[in-house]
Amino acid sequence: MSEESVIAALRALAAQDGGREAPEAVEDRLLQAFRRKQTHRKWRNGLGWSLAAAAAGLAIFFVAGSHERPKVVAPPPVPRQLVAAVPAPADVATVVPVPKQMQAVRRRLIEQPIEQPLERPIERPIERPVELQRETVTQFFPLLDVAPPFERGELLRVMVPASTMRRVGLPVNENRLADPVYADVLVGQEGLARAIRFVSYEQ
Amino acid sequence: MIATDAALLEQALTGAEDAFTALYRRRQGGVYRFALQMTGSSAIAEDVTQEAFLALILHGTRYDQARGTVASFLYGIARNLVLRRIDRRPWAEMEITEECAGPEDLLEDLTRRESIEHVRQAVLSLPPVFREVIVLCDLQDSSYEEAAAALDCPVGTVRSRLNRGRTMLARKLRGVAGVAGRSIECPKSL
Repeated sequence: MSEESVIAALRALAAQDGGREAPEAVEDRLLQAFRRKQTHRKWRNGLGWSLAAAAAGLAIFFVAGSHERPKVVAPPPVPRQLVAAVPAPADVATVVPVPKQMQAVRRRLIEQPIEQPLERPIERPIERPVELQRETVTQFFPLLDVAPPFERGELLRVMVPASTMRRVGLPVNENRLADPVYADVLVGQEGLARAIRFVSYEQ
Repeated sequence: MIATDAALLEQALTGAEDAFTALYRRRQGGVYRFALQMTGSSAIAEDVTQEAFLALILHGTRYDQARGTVASFLYGIARNLVLRRIDRRPWAEMEITEECAGPEDLLEDLTRRESIEHVRQAVLSLPPVFREVIVLCDLQDSSYEEAAAALDCPVGTVRSRLNRGRTMLARKLRGVAGVAGRSIECPKSL
Protein backbone atom coordinates (compact mmCIF):
# COMPACT_ATOMS: atom_id res chain seq x y z
CA MET A 1 0.00 0.00 0.00
CA SER A 2 1.45 3.33 -1.07
CA GLU A 3 1.84 6.35 1.16
CA GLU A 4 -0.81 8.17 -0.89
CA SER A 5 -3.27 5.37 -0.19
CA VAL A 6 -2.52 5.55 3.53
CA ILE A 7 -3.07 9.31 3.49
CA ALA A 8 -6.35 8.81 1.62
CA ALA A 9 -7.48 6.23 4.18
CA LEU A 10 -6.57 8.59 7.00
CA ARG A 11 -8.48 11.43 5.33
CA ALA A 12 -11.53 9.20 5.15
CA LEU A 13 -11.18 8.50 8.86
CA ALA A 14 -10.70 12.22 9.60
CA ALA A 15 -13.80 13.04 7.55
CA GLN A 16 -15.87 10.49 9.42
CA ASP A 17 -14.72 11.86 12.78
CA GLY A 18 -15.01 15.47 11.65
CA GLY A 19 -18.32 16.08 13.36
CA ARG A 20 -17.49 14.34 16.63
CA GLU A 21 -17.36 16.61 19.61
CA ALA A 22 -17.38 16.42 23.36
CA PRO A 23 -20.86 16.08 24.91
CA GLU A 24 -22.54 19.29 26.06
CA ALA A 25 -22.33 18.13 29.66
CA VAL A 26 -18.57 18.72 29.50
CA GLU A 27 -19.11 22.38 28.66
CA ASP A 28 -21.59 22.72 31.53
CA ARG A 29 -19.17 21.17 34.00
CA LEU A 30 -16.32 23.34 32.79
CA LEU A 31 -18.38 26.51 33.06
CA GLN A 32 -19.27 25.59 36.63
CA ALA A 33 -15.58 25.08 37.38
CA PHE A 34 -14.77 28.38 35.69
CA ARG A 35 -17.33 30.24 37.83
CA ARG A 36 -16.07 28.57 41.00
CA LYS A 37 -12.53 29.60 40.12
CA GLN A 38 -13.58 33.20 39.56
CA THR A 39 -15.47 33.36 42.85
CA HIS A 40 -12.53 31.80 44.65
CA ARG A 41 -10.14 34.22 42.96
CA LYS A 42 -12.22 37.26 43.93
CA TRP A 43 -12.41 36.49 47.61
CA ARG A 44 -8.81 35.38 47.72
CA ASN A 45 -7.71 38.65 46.19
CA GLY A 46 -9.97 40.50 48.62
CA LEU A 47 -8.60 38.56 51.54
CA GLY A 48 -5.07 39.08 50.29
CA TRP A 49 -5.49 42.84 50.07
CA SER A 50 -7.19 43.04 53.46
CA LEU A 51 -4.42 41.07 55.07
CA ALA A 52 -1.80 43.09 53.26
CA ALA A 53 -3.45 46.24 54.55
CA ALA A 54 -3.65 44.79 58.05
CA ALA A 55 -0.02 43.70 57.86
CA ALA A 56 1.05 47.10 56.57
CA GLY A 57 -0.92 48.81 59.32
CA LEU A 58 0.67 46.57 61.89
CA ALA A 59 4.13 47.22 60.49
CA ILE A 60 3.56 50.99 60.59
CA PHE A 61 2.26 50.69 64.14
CA PHE A 62 5.36 48.80 65.25
CA VAL A 63 7.78 51.09 63.41
CA ALA A 64 6.11 54.20 64.81
CA GLY A 65 5.91 52.66 68.27
CA SER A 66 9.61 51.87 68.37
CA HIS A 67 10.50 55.58 68.04
CA GLU A 68 8.26 56.78 70.85
CA ARG A 69 9.13 56.65 74.52
CA PRO A 70 6.55 54.95 76.62
CA LYS A 71 4.36 57.51 78.32
CA VAL A 72 3.87 57.45 82.05
CA VAL A 73 0.21 57.06 82.63
CA ALA A 74 -1.17 58.56 85.80
CA PRO A 75 -3.32 56.27 87.85
CA PRO A 76 -6.99 57.00 87.50
CA PRO A 77 -8.35 59.28 90.23
CA VAL A 78 -10.28 57.59 92.96
CA PRO A 79 -13.89 58.68 92.87
CA ARG A 80 -14.96 60.86 95.79
CA GLN A 81 -17.92 58.69 96.52
CA LEU A 82 -15.64 55.74 97.14
CA VAL A 83 -13.40 57.76 99.44
CA ALA A 84 -16.33 59.00 101.40
CA ALA A 85 -17.80 55.59 101.74
CA VAL A 86 -14.67 54.06 103.20
CA PRO A 87 -14.43 54.76 106.91
CA ALA A 88 -11.28 56.51 107.97
CA PRO A 89 -8.84 54.17 109.67
CA ALA A 90 -8.39 54.61 113.40
CA ASP A 91 -5.07 55.87 114.64
CA VAL A 92 -3.33 52.62 115.34
CA ALA A 93 -0.72 54.24 117.56
CA THR A 94 -3.35 55.53 119.90
CA VAL A 95 -5.15 52.26 120.16
CA VAL A 96 -2.39 49.71 120.26
CA PRO A 97 0.11 50.17 123.06
CA VAL A 98 3.71 50.15 121.81
CA PRO A 99 6.01 47.89 123.80
CA LYS A 100 8.87 49.51 125.69
CA GLN A 101 11.56 47.91 123.53
CA MET A 102 9.93 49.26 120.42
CA GLN A 103 9.63 52.68 121.95
CA ALA A 104 13.39 52.72 122.46
CA VAL A 105 13.99 51.70 118.88
CA ARG A 106 11.54 54.30 117.70
CA ARG A 107 13.29 56.98 119.68
CA ARG A 108 16.67 55.99 118.30
CA LEU A 109 15.49 55.95 114.70
CA ILE A 110 13.53 59.15 114.84
CA GLU A 111 15.45 61.30 117.27
CA GLN A 112 19.07 60.40 116.43
CA PRO A 113 20.45 61.84 113.21
CA ILE A 114 21.30 59.39 110.46
CA GLU A 115 25.01 59.14 110.08
CA GLN A 116 25.15 56.42 107.48
CA PRO A 117 22.60 55.50 104.94
CA LEU A 118 20.71 52.40 105.70
CA GLU A 119 21.77 49.35 103.82
CA ARG A 120 19.55 48.62 100.92
CA PRO A 121 18.12 45.16 100.77
CA ILE A 122 19.74 42.83 98.24
CA GLU A 123 17.88 43.01 94.97
CA ARG A 124 16.98 39.64 93.61
CA PRO A 125 16.05 39.20 89.97
CA ILE A 126 12.39 38.69 89.43
CA GLU A 127 11.72 35.18 88.33
CA ARG A 128 9.51 35.20 85.28
CA PRO A 129 6.69 32.71 85.30
CA VAL A 130 7.38 29.65 83.19
CA GLU A 131 5.77 29.86 79.75
CA LEU A 132 2.86 27.52 79.97
CA GLN A 133 1.36 28.18 76.58
CA ARG A 134 2.41 26.11 73.63
CA GLU A 135 1.98 27.46 70.13
CA THR A 136 0.63 25.32 67.32
CA VAL A 137 0.30 26.49 63.74
CA THR A 138 -1.51 25.26 60.67
CA GLN A 139 0.08 24.85 57.28
CA PHE A 140 0.44 27.95 55.09
CA PHE A 141 -2.46 28.67 52.77
CA PRO A 142 -1.53 30.57 49.61
CA LEU A 143 -3.32 33.85 49.04
CA LEU A 144 -2.20 34.56 45.49
CA ASP A 145 -3.10 32.57 42.41
CA VAL A 146 0.11 33.40 40.67
CA ALA A 147 2.70 34.80 42.97
CA PRO A 148 5.74 36.65 41.66
CA PRO A 149 9.09 35.04 42.53
CA PHE A 150 9.74 35.10 46.25
CA GLU A 151 12.98 36.78 47.25
CA ARG A 152 12.44 37.88 50.80
CA GLY A 153 9.59 38.61 53.07
CA GLU A 154 8.36 39.05 56.57
CA LEU A 155 6.12 37.02 58.76
CA LEU A 156 3.67 39.25 60.56
CA ARG A 157 1.40 38.09 63.34
CA VAL A 158 -2.02 39.61 63.10
CA MET A 159 -5.41 39.00 64.58
CA VAL A 160 -8.20 38.14 62.19
CA PRO A 161 -11.78 36.96 62.61
CA ALA A 162 -12.25 33.20 62.67
CA SER A 163 -14.33 33.48 59.51
CA THR A 164 -10.99 33.91 57.68
CA MET A 165 -10.20 30.30 58.53
CA ARG A 166 -13.35 29.20 56.82
CA ARG A 167 -12.30 31.07 53.70
CA VAL A 168 -9.29 28.84 53.28
CA GLY A 169 -11.38 25.76 53.91
CA LEU A 170 -10.80 25.16 57.60
CA PRO A 171 -13.83 24.16 59.67
CA VAL A 172 -15.11 26.82 62.05
CA ASN A 173 -18.02 26.66 64.45
CA GLU A 174 -20.89 28.74 63.11
CA ASN A 175 -21.27 30.58 66.41
CA ARG A 176 -17.61 31.55 66.61
CA LEU A 177 -17.07 33.12 63.21
CA ALA A 178 -16.49 36.53 64.73
CA ASP A 179 -14.00 35.32 67.34
CA PRO A 180 -10.53 36.76 66.90
CA VAL A 181 -7.75 34.31 66.06
CA TYR A 182 -4.05 34.81 65.63
CA ALA A 183 -2.57 34.38 62.18
CA ASP A 184 0.88 34.69 60.63
CA VAL A 185 0.84 36.49 57.31
CA LEU A 186 3.77 36.03 54.96
CA VAL A 187 4.32 39.34 53.20
CA GLY A 188 6.65 39.29 50.21
CA GLN A 189 9.22 41.86 49.18
CA GLU A 190 6.64 43.61 47.02
CA GLY A 191 4.29 44.07 49.96
CA LEU A 192 1.76 41.47 48.89
CA ALA A 193 0.37 39.02 51.41
CA ARG A 194 1.36 35.68 49.92
CA ALA A 195 0.23 33.15 52.45
CA ILE A 196 -1.44 32.84 55.81
CA ARG A 197 -1.30 30.33 58.62
CA PHE A 198 -3.31 30.23 61.78
CA VAL A 199 -1.93 30.04 65.28
CA SER A 200 -3.47 28.60 68.38
CA TYR A 201 -2.17 28.42 71.93
CA GLU A 202 -2.49 25.42 74.12
CA GLN A 203 -1.92 25.34 77.86
CA MET B 1 -13.14 40.67 13.72
CA ILE B 2 -12.55 37.22 15.17
CA ALA B 3 -10.51 37.15 18.35
CA THR B 4 -7.44 34.93 18.33
CA ASP B 5 -7.15 31.99 20.68
CA ALA B 6 -4.45 33.81 22.63
CA ALA B 7 -6.65 36.88 23.06
CA LEU B 8 -9.58 34.74 24.19
CA LEU B 9 -7.38 32.92 26.67
CA GLU B 10 -6.05 36.19 28.04
CA GLN B 11 -9.59 37.49 28.55
CA ALA B 12 -10.71 34.20 30.05
CA LEU B 13 -7.91 34.35 32.58
CA THR B 14 -9.14 37.73 33.75
CA GLY B 15 -12.57 36.23 34.39
CA ALA B 16 -14.41 36.70 31.07
CA GLU B 17 -16.70 33.70 30.84
CA ASP B 18 -17.77 34.54 27.29
CA ALA B 19 -14.17 34.39 26.15
CA PHE B 20 -13.66 31.02 27.79
CA THR B 21 -16.84 29.67 26.24
CA ALA B 22 -15.79 30.91 22.81
CA LEU B 23 -12.35 29.36 23.16
CA TYR B 24 -13.82 26.08 24.40
CA ARG B 25 -16.31 25.86 21.56
CA ARG B 26 -13.60 26.59 19.04
CA ARG B 27 -11.10 24.05 20.31
CA GLN B 28 -12.99 21.31 22.11
CA GLY B 29 -13.71 19.33 18.95
CA GLY B 30 -10.05 19.02 18.05
CA VAL B 31 -9.03 18.03 21.56
CA TYR B 32 -11.86 15.52 21.81
CA ARG B 33 -11.06 13.93 18.45
CA PHE B 34 -7.36 13.83 19.25
CA ALA B 35 -8.08 11.91 22.46
CA LEU B 36 -10.61 9.70 20.71
CA GLN B 37 -8.25 8.81 17.89
CA MET B 38 -5.41 8.24 20.31
CA THR B 39 -7.37 5.94 22.62
CA GLY B 40 -10.36 4.67 20.66
CA SER B 41 -12.58 5.39 23.66
CA SER B 42 -15.21 8.12 23.68
CA ALA B 43 -15.39 7.96 27.50
CA ILE B 44 -11.67 8.64 27.81
CA ALA B 45 -11.91 11.33 25.14
CA GLU B 46 -14.63 13.05 27.15
CA ASP B 47 -12.56 12.89 30.34
CA VAL B 48 -9.43 14.13 28.61
CA THR B 49 -11.26 17.04 27.00
CA GLN B 50 -12.71 18.09 30.34
CA GLU B 51 -9.40 17.78 32.16
CA ALA B 52 -7.47 19.61 29.44
CA PHE B 53 -9.76 22.64 29.58
CA LEU B 54 -9.87 22.46 33.35
CA ALA B 55 -6.08 22.66 33.31
CA LEU B 56 -6.42 25.68 31.05
CA ILE B 57 -8.71 27.34 33.62
CA LEU B 58 -6.38 26.56 36.50
CA HIS B 59 -2.96 26.90 34.87
CA GLY B 60 -3.63 28.90 31.72
CA THR B 61 -1.11 31.51 32.82
CA ARG B 62 1.61 28.98 31.99
CA TYR B 63 0.81 29.36 28.31
CA ASP B 64 3.67 31.06 26.49
CA GLN B 65 2.80 32.45 23.10
CA ALA B 66 6.43 32.26 22.04
CA ARG B 67 6.37 28.47 22.34
CA GLY B 68 3.36 27.81 20.16
CA THR B 69 -0.33 28.30 19.63
CA VAL B 70 -3.05 27.80 22.21
CA ALA B 71 -4.16 24.76 20.20
CA SER B 72 -0.68 23.25 20.55
CA PHE B 73 -0.75 24.01 24.26
CA LEU B 74 -4.09 22.23 24.58
CA TYR B 75 -2.92 19.28 22.49
CA GLY B 76 0.17 19.06 24.68
CA ILE B 77 -1.99 18.87 27.83
CA ALA B 78 -4.33 16.37 26.19
CA ARG B 79 -1.41 14.29 25.02
CA ASN B 80 -0.02 13.99 28.56
CA LEU B 81 -3.44 12.99 29.86
CA VAL B 82 -3.85 10.44 27.09
CA LEU B 83 -0.43 8.91 27.66
CA ARG B 84 -1.20 8.48 31.34
CA ARG B 85 -4.34 6.58 30.44
CA ILE B 86 -2.64 4.51 27.78
CA ASP B 87 -0.10 3.44 30.40
CA ARG B 88 -2.89 2.28 32.69
CA ARG B 89 -4.82 0.53 29.95
CA PRO B 90 -3.98 -3.01 28.90
CA TRP B 91 -2.14 -2.80 25.63
CA ALA B 92 -4.04 -5.79 24.22
CA GLU B 93 -7.24 -3.82 24.43
CA MET B 94 -6.05 -1.57 21.66
CA GLU B 95 -3.92 -4.01 19.76
CA ILE B 96 -5.18 -5.36 16.48
CA THR B 97 -3.90 -8.38 14.64
CA GLU B 98 -0.98 -7.64 12.41
CA GLU B 99 -1.98 -10.02 9.64
CA CYS B 100 -5.35 -11.53 8.89
CA ALA B 101 -5.88 -13.13 5.52
CA GLY B 102 -9.64 -13.29 5.11
CA PRO B 103 -11.65 -14.88 2.32
CA GLU B 104 -12.21 -12.68 -0.73
CA ASP B 105 -16.01 -12.88 -0.56
CA LEU B 106 -16.07 -11.58 2.99
CA LEU B 107 -13.78 -8.75 2.09
CA GLU B 108 -16.16 -7.70 -0.64
CA ASP B 109 -18.88 -7.36 1.95
CA LEU B 110 -16.99 -4.89 4.00
CA THR B 111 -18.79 -1.60 3.99
CA ARG B 112 -16.97 1.67 3.74
CA ARG B 113 -17.75 2.35 7.38
CA GLU B 114 -16.21 -0.90 8.51
CA SER B 115 -13.18 -0.14 6.39
CA ILE B 116 -12.76 3.19 8.07
CA GLU B 117 -13.11 1.57 11.48
CA HIS B 118 -10.40 -0.80 10.42
CA VAL B 119 -8.15 2.12 9.61
CA ARG B 120 -8.95 3.46 13.05
CA GLN B 121 -7.88 0.18 14.60
CA ALA B 122 -4.70 0.25 12.56
CA VAL B 123 -3.93 3.74 13.86
CA LEU B 124 -4.66 2.60 17.41
CA SER B 125 -2.25 -0.28 17.00
CA LEU B 126 0.66 2.04 16.31
CA PRO B 127 3.09 2.74 19.15
CA PRO B 128 2.08 6.03 20.84
CA VAL B 129 5.05 8.04 19.52
CA PHE B 130 4.03 7.34 15.93
CA ARG B 131 0.31 7.39 16.61
CA GLU B 132 0.37 10.90 18.02
CA VAL B 133 2.05 12.42 14.98
CA ILE B 134 -0.31 10.57 12.63
CA VAL B 135 -3.31 11.79 14.62
CA LEU B 136 -2.08 15.37 14.84
CA CYS B 137 -0.75 15.83 11.31
CA ASP B 138 -2.94 13.53 9.22
CA LEU B 139 -6.19 13.45 11.17
CA GLN B 140 -6.20 16.86 12.87
CA ASP B 141 -4.47 18.75 10.05
CA SER B 142 -1.99 20.34 12.40
CA SER B 143 1.12 21.80 10.85
CA TYR B 144 4.49 20.23 11.60
CA GLU B 145 5.31 23.24 13.76
CA GLU B 146 2.11 22.92 15.76
CA ALA B 147 2.66 19.21 16.23
CA ALA B 148 6.24 19.83 17.31
CA ALA B 149 5.08 22.37 19.89
CA ALA B 150 2.40 20.03 21.20
CA LEU B 151 4.75 17.06 21.39
CA ASP B 152 7.65 19.14 22.66
CA CYS B 153 10.08 17.86 20.07
CA PRO B 154 11.86 19.29 16.99
CA VAL B 155 10.05 19.60 13.67
CA GLY B 156 12.49 17.14 12.14
CA THR B 157 11.45 14.51 14.64
CA VAL B 158 7.82 15.06 13.72
CA ARG B 159 8.61 14.56 10.03
CA SER B 160 10.60 11.39 10.57
CA ARG B 161 8.01 9.90 12.93
CA LEU B 162 5.26 10.75 10.49
CA ASN B 163 7.04 8.98 7.63
CA ARG B 164 7.73 5.97 9.76
CA GLY B 165 4.18 5.90 11.11
CA ARG B 166 2.72 6.01 7.64
CA THR B 167 4.98 3.19 6.54
CA MET B 168 3.84 1.09 9.50
CA LEU B 169 0.22 1.86 8.67
CA ALA B 170 0.74 0.89 5.05
CA ARG B 171 2.10 -2.44 6.18
CA LYS B 172 -0.85 -3.00 8.48
CA LEU B 173 -3.39 -2.11 5.79
CA ARG B 174 -1.59 -3.95 2.98
CA GLY B 175 -3.51 -6.38 0.81
CA VAL B 176 -6.96 -5.71 2.19
CA ALA B 177 -9.83 -4.13 0.24
CA GLY B 178 -11.34 -1.03 1.70
CA VAL B 179 -11.22 2.68 1.77
CA ALA B 180 -11.67 4.45 -1.58
CA GLY B 181 -11.52 1.18 -3.46
CA ARG B 182 -8.22 0.23 -1.91
CA SER B 183 -7.60 -2.90 0.04
CA ILE B 184 -7.46 -3.30 3.80
CA GLU B 185 -6.88 -6.35 5.89
CA CYS B 186 -9.64 -8.42 7.36
CA PRO B 187 -10.51 -7.85 11.00
CA LYS B 188 -10.04 -10.85 13.26
CA SER B 189 -13.75 -11.06 13.99
CA LEU B 190 -14.44 -12.15 10.42
